[in-house]
Amino acid sequence: MAKSGAKAQMKDPFPLTFGTYQDALKLVGKQGDCTIAEFSVTWEMIKVYCSLTEDGNPSYWDKDYADKQWGGIIAPPGLLLAWCMPLQWHPEKELKPYFIALRVPLPGDTIINTATTTEFHRQLFLGDRVSVQDKLIQISEEKDTRLGVGHFLTTEAEFKNQKDELVAVQTNNLFRYKVHA
Amino acid sequence: MTLNYSSKYWDDISEGDKLSKTSMHVPFEKVILDAAATQDYFPGHHNPEYARGQGQRDVYLNTMAIEGFIDRLATDWAGPHAFIRQRKMQMRASIYAGDTMSGEGQVEKCYEDEAGRALVDISLTISTHEGPRVPASLTLEIPRKPA
Repeated sequence: MAKSGAKAQMKDPFPLTFGTYQDALKLVGKQGDCTIAEFSVTWEMIKVYCSLTEDGNPSYWDKDYADKQWGGIIAPPGLLLAWCMPLQWHPEKELKPYFIALRVPLPGDTIINTATTTEFHRQLFLGDRVSVQDKLIQISEEKDTRLGVGHFLTTEAEFKNQKDELVAVQTNNLFRYKVHA
Repeated sequence: MTLNYSSKYWDDISEGDKLSKTSMHVPFEKVILDAAATQDYFPGHHNPEYARGQGQRDVYLNTMAIEGFIDRLATDWAGPHAFIRQRKMQMRASIYAGDTMSGEGQVEKCYEDEAGRALVDISLTISTHEGPRVPASLTLEIPRKPA
């Protein structure tokens, strides 16, 4: 079988919405849907993540310590976005990116995350269920970078728990681009 | 469970204090674990051919893995009682399968905010053998020494 080129590989495994910069600008200021996370905060997902980062913080592993310090096992802050990721298959829902940055029509056929700022207001505990709503803040003009030509997208997402209490606010910058020919 | 840890109080921290340098090897399997652990199946994190088509050298860690490493550097140093209030980071270059990432940091500022919270600002840099990859800064809320 002929080896497929990089171009053919790009669109295939990760579908994006295509359009012009002018199409994209119409979405600036628009809010995405409010999504309730598929994943509730579980100790199992916390342990798997801590095995990735090799983090032995007892707030994530030791119930006695965590009960005393926080009132229960807490989630590592870096897992915030993971609770809100879509399942790869669902009996009713079509697989689509939950985040507005991935649904903006632009010419670029791939993406990379470039900067993130997160303010944390409260901890997440086992059993909590996160909801997230994001908003497209800004799209840059076309930029030519080391990786390729494209646009930087700035989004802001608010994460709340099941009691509608603010957990975190995240501002993210992502580069949507085409590699240099 | 008896995990070893030590905790610093806010009163014991001074501007210029250094965080201990920490390294972690990132074999291919860890990048795959990253995709699974964070439910992030973007192909740049598990498909080397896709990653190369993006202009990358190989599959690379996602933002959440690097965030976790940054946070760990801070809480390994300050202790598990530290609450991360803010994290800023820039992914100036990727961390690839096969790399060893290492992090260094120092205290930039110790202060109280208007709500009376005891805060410490830290600057950090995550590097590989290719040089600095991810500059970051954190604001930690750290308990005061009991009277």
